[in-house]
This record gives sequence, C-alpha cells and structure tokens, in this order.
Amino acid sequence: MIEQAIQAFVLEAEELLNDLEDMVLRLEEDASKANVDEIFRALHTIKGSGSMFAHTALSRFTHHFENAFELIRSGDLTVSQELIDLSLKSRDIMVQFLKLGGDGPEAEALLKSDRAEALICALSNLTGVEAAGGSTTSTTTKAEEEEGKVEECFDITFIPDTNALKNGMRPDLLIKELSELGMLEIAYQSHVPKLSDLAPDLSFVEWRLRLTTSAGLSAVEDVFIFADDADLKITRRAQHGGTAACCTSTVTSDESGLKGSKSEQSKPTANKSSTSAKNATVSQSKKAEQKSESIRVTSSRLDEMMDALGELVIAQARLDSVAAEIENQTLDTVVEEVQRLVTSLRDATLSIRMVPVDTVFGKFKRVVRDLSAELGKNIHLELEGGETEVDKNIIDRIGEPLVHMIRNSIDHGIETPEVRSGNGKPEQGTVWLSASQEGGEILISIEDDGKGLDAEAIRYRALERGLISEEEEYSEAALHQLIFEPGFSTAQVVSSVSGRGVGMDAVKTTIDELGGQVTVLSKAGLGSRITLRLPVTMAIIDGLRVRLGQSTFVIPLAAVEECVEMTSDMAAQDSGRRFIQIRSETVPFLNLDTLFGMMHAKEERQRVVIVRVDGARIGLVVDDILGQSQTVIKSLSAYHRDIPGLGGATILGDGSVALILDVSTLVRWAESDGARSKLMVA
Amino acid sequence: MTDAIADTGAMLLTFRLDGEAFAFPVTRVHEILDPIPVTPVPNAGAFAPEVINVRGVVVPLLDIRHRLLMKPAEASRIIVFEADLSGGPQKLAFRADSVEQVLESSPREIIPLPELGAVWPRRFVKGSLRHEDELIVLLDAQELFEPSHDLAEPAVS
Repeated sequence: MIEQAIQAFVLEAEELLNDLEDMVLRLEEDASKANVDEIFRALHTIKGSGSMFAHTALSRFTHHFENAFELIRSGDLTVSQELIDLSLKSRDIMVQFLKLGGDGPEAEALLKSDRAEALICALSNLTGVEAAGGSTTSTTTKAEEEEGKVEECFDITFIPDTNALKNGMRPDLLIKELSELGMLEIAYQSHVPKLSDLAPDLSFVEWRLRLTTSAGLSAVEDVFIFADDADLKITRRAQHGGTAACCTSTVTSDESGLKGSKSEQSKPTANKSSTSAKNATVSQSKKAEQKSESIRVTSSRLDEMMDALGELVIAQARLDSVAAEIENQTLDTVVEEVQRLVTSLRDATLSIRMVPVDTVFGKFKRVVRDLSAELGKNIHLELEGGETEVDKNIIDRIGEPLVHMIRNSIDHGIETPEVRSGNGKPEQGTVWLSASQEGGEILISIEDDGKGLDAEAIRYRALERGLISEEEEYSEAALHQLIFEPGFSTAQVVSSVSGRGVGMDAVKTTIDELGGQVTVLSKAGLGSRITLRLPVTMAIIDGLRVRLGQSTFVIPLAAVEECVEMTSDMAAQDSGRRFIQIRSETVPFLNLDTLFGMMHAKEERQRVVIVRVDGARIGLVVDDILGQSQTVIKSLSAYHRDIPGLGGATILGDGSVALILDVSTLVRWAESDGARSKLMVA
Repeated sequence: MTDAIADTGAMLLTFRLDGEAFAFPVTRVHEILDPIPVTPVPNAGAFAPEVINVRGVVVPLLDIRHRLLMKPAEASRIIVFEADLSGGPQKLAFRADSVEQVLESSPREIIPLPELGAVWPRRFVKGSLRHEDELIVLLDAQELFEPSHDLAEPAVS
C-alpha cells in the first residue's frame, strides 16, 4: 500500500518538476505573485510529500530551494537572473533525485555531491540562511517570523477521511509539525470499534487542537496541505497583543472604553477566518475535482484499444456491405445504430490520444535558454499555436527532430550579438516555433531570423560528398533541400551542440516515417524556416470513397471541401490548363486517371472532388463517388511508400484493399516536372 | 564460394517458376493462398504492382518473375511469408506456380552457378544447392526484395 503511495508521489513529483521548469522560465517575464506562489506550492508539495514517502534526501534538498521562494513571496528577496539560473539547476538535481528512486546511499551521495552542495550554498547565500543544519523542520523562516510577530490562537478541528491512512497520510507527523509551530493542546475523540471489528488501516479519530503560534494562518494551513480529503476547520480566536494568554483567560484588562472597539476588531477577524476557511474548502474541493478529471493510463493500453477499434471499424464496414446485400429493414436499423455507436466510440478513443503540442513545445524554452547562454547568443523563443492537438504517437516522435532543428537554428542560424548589430539587426535573435492545423494535416514550423542558409557552402559540401554532380544546375531552393540528405553537415567545427551531420537527415527520416514532409525555405541574411507537415492522426480517419475505373480510392474527408458534377462541356476542354467554373470561382482540376496512368474510361458523368491543398482549392476528377466511411489507415510497405499521392491503404467492407490518397503530395507532385511529363505522354 | 547458408535464416522456402526450382531464406511461411482479388497500386514499380489483404494486413504482392527477367505468366499460388530484410522483418507475398517445400536449414554447401547457362541477373543469385538430385537456385533475399532497385529499373515487358 505504501509502495502505491510512493509511486503516486513519484508520478506527481515528476509532473510537478516538469511544470516547474516552465514556471521558473515564466518568472523571467512575469515575476507576479501568482507565479511565485505556484512555484512555492510545487516545492512545498515535493518537500512535504518527499519526507513522507521515502524521499527525504530530495526533501532536504528542496527545503533550501523552497526557502528562497518563501522569501520572494514575502517580498524579502527579488527575482533575479541568478535566482532563475539557480532554480533551473536545482530543479535538474531534483529530477535526478527522483530518478534514483528514493532514499539510499546514492541519494545521500547526490545530496553531498559538489553540484548539490554548491547549489545549496548559493541558495543559502541568497536567502541568508545557514546551509548547515537546514532540515525539514525549520519551517519558520525569517519571512514567517516577520509576518507573524503577533501570536495568535487557532482552533483546529481535524477529522481525517476514514480511508486517509491507506493513502499514506500520517496524522502523527501532521500533529508533530503543528507542535513545532508553537504551543499545541491536543484533544481527540475516537470512534475506534471493538478490536474484533477494527480495520487497522482505517482512521477513526477526530482531533480538536488548539495552537498558539506566531507563524500565521497560512503556515497552519500549509501543515494540512496534503490532508486534502480530511474534514478540516481552522478558526482564529480573538487576538491578543503579543501574549500567549488567549487560550486560558478571557479579557480582563482593558475593560470599559476599549470593549466597543474590540468587538469591532474581532468582527473582521472572524469574517476573515471564516472566508479563509471557506477558501480552504474551496481549494480542497477543487483539488478533488482535478483528481477525478484525469487518470493515468499506459500508452500501450491505448494502443491495444486502438487496434481493437480498428478491427471493429473494419468489421462494421463488412456488416454494412452485407446488410446492403440483404436489404432487410430491421437489419438496416440495427446496422445504422451500430454504425453510430462505432463512430462515437472512435471519436472518443481518438480524442483520448490527442495531446496539445505544448507538451513538447514547453520543453524547448529551456533548450533555447541553456543553449544560447552556452554559445554566448541572445535568443528569444516565441511559441504559437501550442494548443493544437496531435495524436500522441506523433507527439512522442517529433520531440527529437524538433530539438535537432532548434539546436541547428541556434547554433548555425542565429549570429552572435556583435555580428547581428554589425549587420543592422537587433542584438536579440528570435526563434519562432508554431503549430497550426490545416485540414487533416498539422503544420509545425521552426523559423529564425538568423543568417539563413548559405547556398554556395551547401553546393560545395554536396559536391565534396558526391551528393550532386558538377554539371547539373541547381536552383537555390533545391540546394537548400540538400541539408536533409544523409551525411550532410556544413558546420566547420563539430560542436557539442550540433553539426554531427546526422541531425537533419534523422529529422527527415522520422518525418517520412510519420507520413509527413519537411521543407526548408531560407533567405540569405534574413533567416530560415523549416516546415513540417504531419498527419493529425495515424490511426483512423473519415474517408470519402471514390471510384476510378475498377478501383476504389479513399480521399481523407478532412481535405474535401465539396463535390460537384463534371458536365460534358467542361470535360470537353481537354487541352492546356484545365479549370472548372464553380459559382463565380475558377478552380483548376486534375484528372486522377491520367495521373495514375490508368486507362481513360471516358465515363459519361464524372465527378469532381474539390480539396484544399496549401490553401488553394483544386479539383480531383473521379468516375464516381461511392460514399463516406471510417477508414483504418494501414501504412504502405517500403515498395509503395514513396509513390507520390498515396498516403496509405485500408481494407474495405468487401475485404478488398483500397488505397488512401494523400492529396497534398498528389497535388504537389502533379505540379512538379515529373508528373507533367507523364501528363504530356498521356 | 563455399560459405554455408546457416547464417541466412531459419529455413529455406523452395518454389517453382517455369519449372525451375528456386529457394530463398525466410523466417516464416504464413500461408499459401489461391488467387484472391488484388488491388493495383498506381505508379508503382513493376516489381511490386499490387497489394492484397491477408487477414487484415495490407501486404505487397511482388513479382519475382519480373526481377528474374522472366516473361509474365499466370501463376496459381500466392505465397505469404515473412523475411528479415534490411528494413526489419516484413510480411511479403509473391506468385509462384507451385510451392515445393520448406527446408529446415542445415548447413549446406553452396555450389556456384556456372557462368554460362544462368539467365537470371547475377546480383539476385547467390549460388545453387543440391537437394534430392535436383539443382535449386538459391536467391539472395536481401537483394531480391530490395525496394529501391525498381525506381531506376526500366519495366521489361
């Protein structure tokens, strides 16, 4: 049971540390109280739970870190660059602690390591607290002492949830912590059943505590920060000036004249404590809510579910075609119902797998910060569209490529501040990382305002590596694309940052495997932009089945805008560029049968499916439109993966295979030279 | 050239094309199918013109005859197998007149094919081996199933 609690702590701490990096980086721009508080809470949670769940070394280390933020909170310390640096490094050490898996000789060694000690020392210098002897118990820091010079008296009713002990709550530790804050009187009421009925892991005790302390309400509340499922009431008793007598005596001095003012004074206090009690319950219920909002599932279980769903969708397609043959109304009703249910099940399952790209983008702030410091460059990272959602499988795989590209931008792209100001550019360089969705694709671009790609250097290197031949003429854009070739790197010196010459090549391989594309656009002196086009999901899509001669193809519905009929007079203009008139708009179209080298069936009534590619509308001429269906995407083998215009395959209701069109590559290929020669022949 | 084939795979799949016996190493033979509906892949190379559905998996149907420069012909069987190729283990299918047998791999001696008389492109042929008084042409699976040859290779009709 305690193992589970420890595991839960580790997961929570991992998440907090993940967020912590982001929070600390945010301080650079916004050192508002809300941000500082958030960091403090995270640290406090890790410190507190750590000591409870066999991570005392981590807890002890965090203590020093927390002290600093306690002081910032009270306004005794200001957020400085130094502090942010220290915080980030401390956070890294905390991550290491977690990786060690709790207390043990390794954790102790880490705590005593030069790195950790140097950090503790630096933090202590900032906070002015002695490094030695800092243990978890010294919760009363300078800040609290100042805040709570006045001693106050609190009545605390603390009734742990019956199951709280199972979750690792330790009332004894809480009460010990309270007693360290000041003078504590303890009374309790127990409902412990007869020994024969006693469940040892349930809690049957209610505590009534009276604490006299100068630590302040927030310190008292902090003690109970993890007892969020307990019934907790903290009320502040009427105050006295500086003595601890409140608990025992009623007001005897200061009779007459002051009485009026006293009662007035106590009123707002009472109000305040009741609101803070309310706040406490509000925040507790909010916490409970958040807990129920998310659960953790291993992604392999999601994959299993996805596979099963894929089978279900295919089976359902088969059911559809069988029902169509039988033509029974009762059956049709059931089939329709099943179809509706499968669709909603599919959507729900897919949405579980969707993750905002922010989950990877967030990590790059740190990468940019560390790297630009290492290289002596001043670089700002601008993020956009982080809320765009992508299938988790894709998210998991684009992290590495993105890091490569950002490293490249920083290392090779953006110049040093001196060079930049010499060229009349602002000293601070900028890297833009943005994501957006376009149809069934997601676009991620990495742009920098650095020096851009050097086409001549690329040509030279490509010749040297035998990637291109001397005679051939290459456009600047074509030369730029060479950076994705295997074994290509223009870095003069191989640095630790990039320039191993595997980066861009690896990027392209990964993106290709995901069924995406990567292109680079660069202007010498102005910067570069690398754009990744990726499918939103690789599992199941809505597809439009179309017929072309004897074959069925599937067009992803996300790309389809409308379908129109091809009238014979439109089809008659069979020379030169081909356009059709849709309302007041002229739309170019492509004959799929010629593109695919299929026999011209010359059917009487053809249809045109209007899709959107790169922001432009274009028509695809097909022989017939068969209908919509859910399409389980199966990837193509190495023999067919590189054929332009094909994005995968799927299995239809009748058991045959249909190919899924990738309209983006299809249209781009049709506009390229390779296809044009093919069209000429046809 | 007398290296053994023990290192090439767990077993040898032998089959017949135009009466000639061929073999290459496979990790597994999945099934042998009677002709089933196939889906042509537009703009695909002549070696892999079609795909088929094998129990929910889309499998490329390869034309070994094409790579061996044999004339196209109807074949009565589709063989689905798994081979460990450079791109990792893959499920593939091809047509053959008949499947002879699957030989467990015991080290055998590879006999070089005579220069003359071998009509098949040399890069696909490893040598030959003798089995029950017959000469079986041993194909190089790595080379034979290499996807990229096709792009440069002109279609032979």
